[in-house]
Amino acid sequence: MSLRADLRHGLRIARAEFVRSVRGYARDRRRLLGLAVAVLFFGGNLLFSLPTAYLLGRTVRSADAIPFLGPAATALPFLLVALAALRTLERIGRPEAEELLLSTVHPRAAVIGLICAEIARLAIWFGLPIAAVVAAFALGLGSATFPLTVAVVVLPLVCWAAVWGYALGIGFLRLFRWLPALGRAAKIGGFLGMLALVLASQSIGRLVADGSFSVRGALDAVTIGPLTEYVAVAFLGTPLSRSLSPVGPGILLLFVALTPLGTAVAARSAKTLWFTDASKPERATRSKTSSGGFAAPRPFAATKPGRIAWGHLVRAVRHPQEFSHLVMIVFFLGPVGTTFVQSSGDALGALAAATGVGLATYLAGATFGLNPLGDDRPQLSLVLLSGTTPRTLVRGRVTAGVAVSAPVAALVPAAALGLGAAPELAGAFAAVGLPMCVAASLFSVGLGASYPIYEEREFWGAETVVPSTLVMVAYLFVVGGGTVIGLLATWFVASGRLTATPLVAGGLSVYVLTTAGVSYGSYRYAVRRYRRYAFD
Amino acid sequence: MPSTNTAAIEADDLRKRYGSEVALDGVSLSIPTGTVYGFLGPNGAGKTTTMRILTGLSRPSSGTVRVCGVDVADRRALARHVGYLPETPPLYEEFSAREQLEYVADLRDIAGEVADERIDRYLAEFELLDDADRRISEYSKGMKQKTAFVQSVLHDPDVLFLDEPTSGLDPRAARRIRESILAFADAGTTVFLSTHILPVVEAVADEVGVLYEGRLVAEGPPDAVTSRAATGDSGSLEDAFLAVTSGGEDVVDAEETDSGSERV
Ligand SMILES: Nc1ncnc2c1ncn2[C@@H]1O[C@H](COP(=O)(O)OP(=O)(O)O)[C@@H](O)[C@H]1O
Ligand SMILES: [Mg+2]
Repeated sequence: MSLRADLRHGLRIARAEFVRSVRGYARDRRRLLGLAVAVLFFGGNLLFSLPTAYLLGRTVRSADAIPFLGPAATALPFLLVALAALRTLERIGRPEAEELLLSTVHPRAAVIGLICAEIARLAIWFGLPIAAVVAAFALGLGSATFPLTVAVVVLPLVCWAAVWGYALGIGFLRLFRWLPALGRAAKIGGFLGMLALVLASQSIGRLVADGSFSVRGALDAVTIGPLTEYVAVAFLGTPLSRSLSPVGPGILLLFVALTPLGTAVAARSAKTLWFTDASKPERATRSKTSSGGFAAPRPFAATKPGRIAWGHLVRAVRHPQEFSHLVMIVFFLGPVGTTFVQSSGDALGALAAATGVGLATYLAGATFGLNPLGDDRPQLSLVLLSGTTPRTLVRGRVTAGVAVSAPVAALVPAAALGLGAAPELAGAFAAVGLPMCVAASLFSVGLGASYPIYEEREFWGAETVVPSTLVMVAYLFVVGGGTVIGLLATWFVASGRLTATPLVAGGLSVYVLTTAGVSYGSYRYAVRRYRRYAFD
Repeated sequence: MPSTNTAAIEADDLRKRYGSEVALDGVSLSIPTGTVYGFLGPNGAGKTTTMRILTGLSRPSSGTVRVCGVDVADRRALARHVGYLPETPPLYEEFSAREQLEYVADLRDIAGEVADERIDRYLAEFELLDDADRRISEYSKGMKQKTAFVQSVLHDPDVLFLDEPTSGLDPRAARRIRESILAFADAGTTVFLSTHILPVVEAVADEVGVLYEGRLVAEGPPDAVTSRAATGDSGSLEDAFLAVTSGGEDVVDAEETDSGSERV
């Protein structure tokens, strides 16, 4: 009786959660734009993969001939469970409006609701494209039952994975609550793991390309037989069907049987998580105090922008989660990483020095500059009425950016000396890097002010106002490109490979003037945005 | 314990620790059915913590709670007895007020036509009808609070827990909620109301408890607490509040001296 009620409530919760998600996707123009990009991307892929699937269906004569079927069958359950666990950790480990749901229905209903909503979301993001591919393949194969058998195979798998992934995620949340240090370590580990993955994917691509690594051999080694048998059930009744071992249907039954068990485990575990508090407080027990007043140290104290910058830096150190958006750089490190792996000798030193300067110009703007109005918004009513001019406010931000990046621009080339960088080259890089940081910081405030983001969102486990991805990418593109050009020119000059022809001189001055002009213009624009800011 | 006259809320020696910090330090309550209980205390006294424990959303480190005779650990049995309006209204911004209320009615298994009738009546009563189909994300604080209030009473709970229901509201919205509290009390609902707005308590409460640093430092009818605690003879609840929450150790038990017969 109570199980029936919980199922009923769970499905209602799932429906409501799903509706909320769909409305969330289309909440404002920015999200719609992102959605459109995603649809275009998926759609573009389908344009290519649907005909491929169709042709494959026409030509393939045995299931073994379908490329990567075995490894995919092995990887799929693990990937799905990992995905579900990750989503639980990040998003759905607790219901929203928790007090309402938990004082209204049994926690088991809430768990069922959250999991079902997640399955529904999964179904529209991945299910629809996959269904299209399967349909195309079935059409090529000339088998009407194939989509049905695929559904029979996939549905239990997805339900099993969603349920156990949820249980796993809740388990992790409880573990992290018990051992908060482990949670922090996992976050850092996840970050490093992603970095490694990005780097590895680049090098593996290269290894495969030059033939020193056999994909087939490696994948065959990780294929788990029974799971392949399980997937073979999907080909039942098609021309590709082979004699069926009892293993496949056995695993099907296992998935079906394990799903309710997983739900029970997840519900029990979630109940413990939701209704107990951390035995140790999740926040630091040491209460946070500051001694003395607000006194900026030496170089900062001299000017008002300097003192404002010091304020930014102090708050940054006390609340580093605000800067989680900086991890974006990971996605652009891949090429640099592989080049590192392959270079040696003096090239390594030069490359390290250059990378340091590149990182510095990134930090110069990305740390404080890419969403100035959004970051300042909660205090804007204070700040704008304080009598401090907008120019000073913007300069404070720019100074803060320079203050975090200048040491990197100077110290990394210095450290690169140890890796064998030529002293004059390292010196030149550092000398060029400092003005570049100033330019990048000036540029960032204008770019960031052009498209402020006010709403907080959860990013890497911290509620912060994150700069728009568009702004971030534009910044990386412009400043990254500018930095590369500048560093190449520096390298040519410092290594004496460049003779002073009028053309070279002209090119360099164009570069310098453009950089200076764009940066200054951007800075002026930011000041104007501050001056004209109106709450709406 | 007489079963015919069970207290609506019966809490025995509740303690709650967060790590080394003690949030509740031996709170006992026995609140008869139909009472409007004003739960007073400065910020951080432990009012929200107490409410979360009384509604079963949080477990005490030690102590027991029964609401309407039901152990609060038995959530399935408890749910239909209690309505809870937390400090921040638990609403879904993506829903309209009507959708939100229908969703809650659905989760509470209130029959369709009964739900529709109640929702329409409450929306009208709380002056939300015109905006009922707008998304809650566009609502003002007062409108959100009124919506959340309605959702917590939709199933006609026996005991209503309200955590600072009128703080930050305009006088009109605050009065609307105050009047509604009185109406529910008249209909026999027990109301457990936390607040630090003293006039609200003076207006509606039959009985008050003052919580200070996790302990109940005074309890009894408002005027009894006032006359007992106030040092001078100005005798307002505000004076009493300030007197008992200024760090003194004495527990002022108003009813022992003034109205010992108030309670069973
Ligand atoms: N999750 C928690 N972890 C640690 N301490 C908490 C937690 N929740 C509340 N507290 C502490 O318990 C005490 C009482 O808080 P609360 O019940 O919110 O007070 P009130 O509602 O009366 O303002 C406060 O000192 C608060 O810091
Ligand atoms: Mg509170």
